[in-house]
Amino acid sequence: MNVLRRPPGLSSFRFYSTQTTRPFVPPASLNHFELPQRQREKPRPASPSFYTARPDFYDQLTSLESALRHAKNALTTCHLLPLPQFARTALPPRVNAWVDKRELGLKLRSNLTTSRYRRVVLVLNELETYRAIAEKAGIVELQEGIRSITELFERADAATMLARGKSKPVKFDEYGRSYTLGKRKTSSARVWIVPAQRPPADPSTTALSTQATETDSALDALLNPHSSSKSNEHVSVAQILVNNTPLSTYFPIPADRTRVIHPLKLTGLLGAYNIFAIVRGGGTSGQSGAVAHGIAKGIAAHEPAVATILRKGKLLRRDPRMVERKKPGLAKARKRYTWVKR
Amino acid sequence: MATKAGLRPWLSATRCLWKSRPSVLQHRRNVFTSSDEPFPLQSPDDWQLLQDRRIRFKMLVDLFSEHGSTVTRDNTFQPHHQLHRPLAPSEATLSALIAAGAHFGHAKALLNPNFMPYAYGVRAGITIIDLDSTLPLLRRAASVMRAVVERDGTIVFVGTRPDLRAVVRKAAERIGPQAFHVGERWLPGTLTNKLQLFGRDVANEQRVTPDLVVFLNPMANAHAIRECAIQHIPTIGIVDSNVDPRVVMYPIPANDESPRTAELITGVLSIAGREGRVLRENKERSKELRQSRYKRGQERGSTRYVADTE
Repeated sequence: MNVLRRPPGLSSFRFYSTQTTRPFVPPASLNHFELPQRQREKPRPASPSFYTARPDFYDQLTSLESALRHAKNALTTCHLLPLPQFARTALPPRVNAWVDKRELGLKLRSNLTTSRYRRVVLVLNELETYRAIAEKAGIVELQEGIRSITELFERADAATMLARGKSKPVKFDEYGRSYTLGKRKTSSARVWIVPAQRPPADPSTTALSTQATETDSALDALLNPHSSSKSNEHVSVAQILVNNTPLSTYFPIPADRTRVIHPLKLTGLLGAYNIFAIVRGGGTSGQSGAVAHGIAKGIAAHEPAVATILRKGKLLRRDPRMVERKKPGLAKARKRYTWVKR
Repeated sequence: MATKAGLRPWLSATRCLWKSRPSVLQHRRNVFTSSDEPFPLQSPDDWQLLQDRRIRFKMLVDLFSEHGSTVTRDNTFQPHHQLHRPLAPSEATLSALIAAGAHFGHAKALLNPNFMPYAYGVRAGITIIDLDSTLPLLRRAASVMRAVVERDGTIVFVGTRPDLRAVVRKAAERIGPQAFHVGERWLPGTLTNKLQLFGRDVANEQRVTPDLVVFLNPMANAHAIRECAIQHIPTIGIVDSNVDPRVVMYPIPANDESPRTAELITGVLSIAGREGRVLRENKERSKELRQSRYKRGQERGSTRYVADTE
């Protein structure tokens, strides 16, 4: 055993007073002086955590923790805690937007460091979990009691915060039209889609003349508007207009036309909707891609069931490819000048 | 051939019957099987069903608890009893200290030479603390606590580890408005730099200097101990074998790392503090009673009660 060894924490401190705070005066001589108010006559601090130098914060944290304990006891009495794993997974995922550090500091009337903020948020998250359990089990008083505490700490713009990163739902106007935007390269297309009015079905037609013939005839009608051979029985009135011109006029190149129609063909909705698009910017392939993007978003809004098919076919994604810039020392974006040996 | 069941015992009739036994219980599965079998929870009725299953299981357990062992949850030791039902100073025994693990010190190489009088010996490389010296020192500290509280002193409990937070809070709560707790980091300058830390108004108008400070982990609170020494404040502390016991005025040699030991010792001290408060309140009440009787005597003009020279 090393006698000279000292514990690291206490070796450098002296534990006796090295300087007297006041010179010693005999008590009898003090009678002539007006001393300041005696310690015993002063009131004590009110908060039990006064000596932490942050009594407000720690008192409020203690009250939150005691609220948590009461909630836990109440749920245990109702035989809902401890919750088995399969029940915990059945709870909805916790979506909360608590106030930020600065706001919470204002509410708790003390400057918060990140560690103290996290401690409070931890307690709030647990309270929210217990509230969700009480809500699911239908215990109204407990759920409302916890809510009255947690709503004090929720952000005012919680809905906006939680909706960040999620796409806004497409709204329909009074005529049932959807309005969507599509973009590709530098083109942007504004697309209005409305369900087409179906002509009444003839009783003489057979059941076999189904969507296949309808689709074929619709495709035929769209791609060859001026052809004379039109079948009169199941012509749908669905049209596609781009910048107030029919599709085949605006896009003479077949590749562009196929690109525009691809979302409808993939989902089998070729004759089902009337489409009107205004497209600006870019060239033919950019504009056709933009219209296709807008159409895909529009039909996904009209029929949510086809959204999976379109997502698998990568039609709902805005194609991020843009023209790459030319760089100095290169002829084009990637093209290098001919290499010369000397 | 040799066995009663024949050549292939696993095909015997008795074993075949065993398989059918669980099916007998299937139709009463809500009562007898475990209450935590997974099933889908969709509606509030499903949650109600979960609660019902648990209630029925508990009823079954309670029914059978009346028979068999007399050892129940209420009359056995539970870990939360140390915090919520502490021992009085007169009830603290060596067995209680050993059960709390108060005799475990630190490694032999870390033994502070000034701690030697309180060390019983070394076993398995660990210093064993002599509880024969711990117990009277604990009682002495409890007497100090009782006396300080009786004379309207301010107590501060300092325990700066997460497991000690609840202990100090409960102890301060038990003694009342005279006691405070510090469960987080002790800010340097709390006692020596009051004007800056608490502000001029509070430092001048309120009673900020405590009269007794209790340290549950003195090793981590060296600054606080030094401030108490500078301000001439008496200290009580749980000193472990790697600490010089002279750092505090009333050391209690015990294991500072065990939360159970901390709960036991702090509980004893807080009960002593509560006794002191009760004594003080009784004294105040009897004083008020005497004064009121004297006043009434004065009003009536009778000289029956002699004035108290208080």
